[in-house]
Amino acid sequence: MAKRATLDDFVVVDCDVHVHEMPSDLIPYIDMPWRVSLETIAANAAKYLEIGYLDVPAFSPGASGSSFGPVWPSSHEAARVVLTPEAMRAELDTINVDIGILFPDSMLKLATITDEEYAAALARAYNAWLVETWCRPEQGLVGCLVASPQAPEDTAAQIEKYAKHPGVVGVYLPGAAVDPLWGDRKYDPIFKAAEAADFAVLLHSVGIVHPTYPFNTHGFTSGFARHTTSHTLSMMANLVDMVSTGVPERFPNLRICFTEAGVAWVPFVMMRMDRAYREGRAEVSYLTKPPSEYIKSFFYATQPIEEPQTLADMVRLVNLYDGENQTVFASDWPHHDFDHPNKIHQMPFSDEAKRKIFGTNALRMFNMDEHCRRLSLSQGAAAR
Amino acid sequence: MIGKLEEFPEGSHRVVTVGRRRIGVFNVKGSLHALPNLCPHQTGPLCEVKKVTGTTQARAENDWAIEWAFDQEIIACPWHGIEYHVPTGRCLTFPEISIRSYEVAVDDGVVSLEF
Repeated sequence: MAKRATLDDFVVVDCDVHVHEMPSDLIPYIDMPWRVSLETIAANAAKYLEIGYLDVPAFSPGASGSSFGPVWPSSHEAARVVLTPEAMRAELDTINVDIGILFPDSMLKLATITDEEYAAALARAYNAWLVETWCRPEQGLVGCLVASPQAPEDTAAQIEKYAKHPGVVGVYLPGAAVDPLWGDRKYDPIFKAAEAADFAVLLHSVGIVHPTYPFNTHGFTSGFARHTTSHTLSMMANLVDMVSTGVPERFPNLRICFTEAGVAWVPFVMMRMDRAYREGRAEVSYLTKPPSEYIKSFFYATQPIEEPQTLADMVRLVNLYDGENQTVFASDWPHHDFDHPNKIHQMPFSDEAKRKIFGTNALRMFNMDEHCRRLSLSQGAAAR
Repeated sequence: MIGKLEEFPEGSHRVVTVGRRRIGVFNVKGSLHALPNLCPHQTGPLCEVKKVTGTTQARAENDWAIEWAFDQEIIACPWHGIEYHVPTGRCLTFPEISIRSYEVAVDDGVVSLEF
């Protein structure tokens, strides 16, 4: 019998790790007059999702985390941050991650900002800071640009600006409070630019309460309930929107990934959409095949991976959406509900399936090799 | 032997190494308790906590009102927050799970663990 593979036998690409951008970090990179705003905010330092510029009063209560209620003491270290690429590299080493795909912390709330120019300026500053400070492909750290949904043309210009940068591999699409959802045609310039730049686009949400669907979760009494829905409903709503408006038909080469919602929702949405398509096709006649065909072409990040008592259930669940080739590992390091790769490794996937989920699916999604080299930038590389 | 009794004052906790084991030793209200520094959920460093707290409970006989309970007896794993009752090793999140406790002996001011 062949020896069972260990984690060290796999290339582990982590499709969701978070850098921490303090307002003071972005000051040198942001245009006037917005620099004055960041200087004002930086004088009142806060951490992890508690940054004043991304807190909508009365709806997004950052000062008490995700809770509207009492705050109990706990030894759970729920507000971890990573401030330098050196620290990130060292910490990812401890959890067996070879390549980390970098996302922001506070910019997870970028879509809540109502001033379009300010939002675009923050995104530009973050992108410049990320690329200069964090993206180190030779050390296995590569980044996603932040898209400003408020300013699609500006975001497209950002994508074009960094299209050839070896340390950028994707575009992060904010899910929390985005309005309209990501299927709207106003975002086409972003998808067109991402497709041309050979960047994947990755949707990522965060727990907020906001009047925008599906974040109008003020009816729940606990942060536990809100956190249960904040990421999953956002991914479901955006996937349904993107399929039903024909994004994958308009941009057939665009690689789309849904993050931080686990994977159990995927078979449900897939089968539900297929059923609705039987009677609703005429409304969406730009679709050329059942929704499941598109859904099976998207990518899904594992974290927070479901933890059923019978781990074999996860293999069956992933098979329901042909997920062996479309599921990508993510840890969400250093956040409060991160996953160690061991959690996936414990599941009775074949070693070949694990090899795909831990690494090769993500390498295909980002079109890069295991040394973090973007294949579209390599001399003589074959076209995808 | 893992140290002298005065090295484990009331309200304190620390992780000691015994052979290949890492064990958290807690002095809860004058009683010493020892638990493995390993959360069975995702192998987090369970006992490397910054503080020992209480937690909430709600009971039918009190009409499900939220009560503060187990003060100074609860640790939540630093990784994912799964709660354990230090004096018993009982997991509050999954009642069917208890982690093992090590016997702590104090003899002439010297603290040792029994396996």
